[in-house]
Parts: sequence; structure tokens; C-alpha cells
Amino acid sequence: MTDATLPALLESAGLTGRGGAAFATHVKIAAATHAGADLIVNLCDGELGAAKDGWVVTHHLPEVVAGASLVTSRRGRRIRYAAHRGSATASRLAAAGLDVLEVPARYVSSEETALVSLAHGHLARPMTKRDRFVSGGRDSAGHTIEPTVVLNAETVWRVAQIADRGAPWFRSFGTAAEPGPRLVSVSRSRPSGMPPLPASARAREDEHLGHFVPRAERDGGTCRARGESPASARARQNAHLGHFDSPIVLETEAGVPVSELLRRGGIPDDHGAILLNGLGGAFLTATEARGALWCGAGLTAYGTGIGPGVIHALDPRGCPLAWVRDVLAWAGGESAGQCGPCLFGVPALARDWAALVASPTPELLAQVRSRVALLPGRGACRYPDGVAGFAASALRVFEADLVAHRSGRCAGGIPVDRPITSERKAHAGV
Amino acid sequence: MPVSEQVTQRELRIDRVACSGHGVCASLLPQRVRLDEWGYPILAGPHPSDHDGERAIRWCPARALYWAPTPG
Repeated sequence: MTDATLPALLESAGLTGRGGAAFATHVKIAAATHAGADLIVNLCDGELGAAKDGWVVTHHLPEVVAGASLVTSRRGRRIRYAAHRGSATASRLAAAGLDVLEVPARYVSSEETALVSLAHGHLARPMTKRDRFVSGGRDSAGHTIEPTVVLNAETVWRVAQIADRGAPWFRSFGTAAEPGPRLVSVSRSRPSGMPPLPASARAREDEHLGHFVPRAERDGGTCRARGESPASARARQNAHLGHFDSPIVLETEAGVPVSELLRRGGIPDDHGAILLNGLGGAFLTATEARGALWCGAGLTAYGTGIGPGVIHALDPRGCPLAWVRDVLAWAGGESAGQCGPCLFGVPALARDWAALVASPTPELLAQVRSRVALLPGRGACRYPDGVAGFAASALRVFEADLVAHRSGRCAGGIPVDRPITSERKAHAGV
Repeated sequence: MPVSEQVTQRELRIDRVACSGHGVCASLLPQRVRLDEWGYPILAGPHPSDHDGERAIRWCPARALYWAPTPG
């Protein structure tokens, strides 16, 4: 295949990036070929609840390698495979003799430009996009960045499939606007108060149905907002992250009902709210999820889309506000710490959210809303934008829970840490 | 055609990694830039003239302001 024919083929297939941004792959590949860019295949499963990159490595690694060599048809272009340090994916890639770029297991580390920075020997932190790094450029400190293109693992696998089976085969899946077969990761929170499983059972269960358990549920379901040291917060956040490990990965296509994906993912019908696309995504109520189609047109009203293909079901008996609080507490520590509005803004949002959950006054609600409004568009990457969208949609979907917390109870029937007394109510104007 | 007429479609942007919150931009471009509670710029309001934008770029202590082509 020549340099020109692959982009034309991918354009007729309508392949878009499977990492979440859904950028037209043929445009990226044509620019990369023109610039002679090195390739980084992103296998980090960086979004909360994502597992499809690992699935692709386990089941289709030879095709990923074939796709990567198609993308870098000219000689002398380096191909690296990025995976979280110490992950099963990194081991599998190394065992296959591939050039592995080991990435710190932090949320922003697998952002496109963070990988490019890491590949140049700098920290795995997002770069300001003064230039399009597919053609090369400079980072904020003035270091030269060689032309580099980053493609998601599933995208590269699809390239090989399209080269093998053709564009009409690809377009026989999905919708006209979002063609092609797709992977989705489905997971759920474990019921509140459930004791930890023995390690052997956990490993077995995680193999089939990955769970992550917010602290509030692990601690027996209280909504207690407690002060804690940064060290214990870090330990807790690490523990928290560990439970996002291995959701079920399904092969599907755009346009199917979200409820069908939940059913195939083994989610019981009485699930709580649904989080689509993790920390960069948005919530749907259980009722909304029952009626929604999994496609851009079906999900845009909720503030998300197909994105990186992550579906997470909350437990109906847990407190969703506390769940969001724990995720935001973790998110505050996941900022790369480079851009002030994110470095200070995300932890401030997390603090105010925790206060709001414990004691939902109109003042705190307004404060949370103003924090959310100030995050978007003010970082080198879209991390603060994603967190803002996550929090904004939580405010919408869990409004009834906030009202319940105001009267000292939450919808999950869990006692709130600081019920508002009539005296404090009068003071706060509730 | 003079160079300035070829590059009219541009806007002033902030390199958020380089920005360290000195706030000079808010003093020089009060119509366009205000500061959040930590001193980091918030862009809102009318775009500055080329002259004012150039001046802010020159005086930013972190060299965090730059011109970029207007998207679209």
C-alpha cells in the first residue's frame, strides 16, 4: 500500500479515533506520513473504567502490529507501544518483543501530548498545543519535539481490519455518521457495605466483571466527609483506582441501545445512574439510560457521546453524591499540576463538592457551580474541561439526592454526616 | 500586500503551562483579561487590538502569551 492509498481507504471507511476524541484518522495519518512522524500506539486505558486497550492486546496484538506498520509505511519511523508501567498490558507487549513506552499510571499521563512529551525524555505531562506535534514543534520550555503521531490501540487494529476487509465491510457496522465495529468497556460499582472478597475470588471476579468500589461504600456506606492527610488520601486514591481494572469488554457498534450494552455487560436491571466515559464523560439517570441509544445523536443531550466507549453503572443502594465526591477527591490529585486553573481549580471543586454533600446549602451549590464554570478552556489539555462536565452532569442527575441531603437524608437511605438543624437552616436560608 | 493584512485572523492565547499567574496581562488588557482567585487569567470580553496584544505579549514575565490563528 502506498502512502496515499491508506488515507483514501480510511476516509472512505469513515474511521475515526477510538480513544475518545473521534478525530478523522485519515487526516492524522496523512499528516504523519507527510511529516515522517514516529508513531505511539496508546494502550493505556487511561479513562476510568476503560479496559479495551488491554483487550485488544490480549486478543488482536498481531493485527495491531500490522496496522502500526501500515501507518508508518516509510522506513526509519519508530513505533512505540505506550502502556501503564507494571500493567499486564505492558508485560504482554514486552513479551512480544515490542518497543514499550512505560507510562506512569496517572490519569493525564496518557493524554496524547503527555505521551509525546514522555517519548522525548520529558515528564508524561500534557503540552500546550502551540504546534501540531504530528508535524513537530516545541514544548513550553522550548525543547524540540520531533514529529510524532499518537493513535489509540483500537484505532490501529481497525486500520489493519479495513486494509484487510475493505471499507464496505467496515461501513456495514454502526450508523452512517459513526460507522464501524467498536469496543465498549462495561463495569459497575459493588453493592454498598459488601465485605471485600478474598484475593483469589477477587481476581476471578475481576477477570469477568471489573468493579471499583468508592470509599464510602467500602467503609460501610456512610456519607461522612472526613479530613485526611495527603498521604492517606493518596493511598485511598490508589486503592480507588485499583478497582477500575477489568470491566467486561464487548464488541458492538454505534446505534445500539445503552440498555442492551448494560445487559450484555452483566449489569442487573435495577442499576443506579449510568456514567458514560468516566471522568471526561457524563451521567444519565437509570431511566434515561433505559431509553438512550449509544451514538452521538442519542447522547449529545446528556453532554457526552460514544467517546472512549466506557459505561459504568452505579449501585442503586449507594449514595451517588458521595461516590462523585470520592471520584473528585481523586481527580484533584490527578492534575498534572502545570496549569494554575487546573492545579488549584480541581481540588477546590472537590473540596466544595465534599462540603456540599455534607451540608447542601444554596451558597455551596452556587460555589460549586462557579467552580465548574471556571474550569473549561483553561488548561493545556482538556482534563479540567472533562472534570467540569462530569461535575455539571452530576449536579443535574443527582439533584433529587441533593434535595434529600438537605433534609439530612440521601436517596440511598444513608445518614448524612451533618444534617442541617432548623437553626442552621434558618442561618443558611434553606 | 503588507504582511499585517495577511494575518488578520488571529487571536491572543495563553500558554497555560508557561503561565505562572503574574497578572500583568490583566493590567495591560483589562477589557479582555480578568484574574481568578489564584491570579490566573480568565479570557472574556472584546479581543485586544494588535498593538495592545503585542504589548501584552512583550511584557508577560512568563512569556506565556502568543498569537494563534483563529479556529475555523
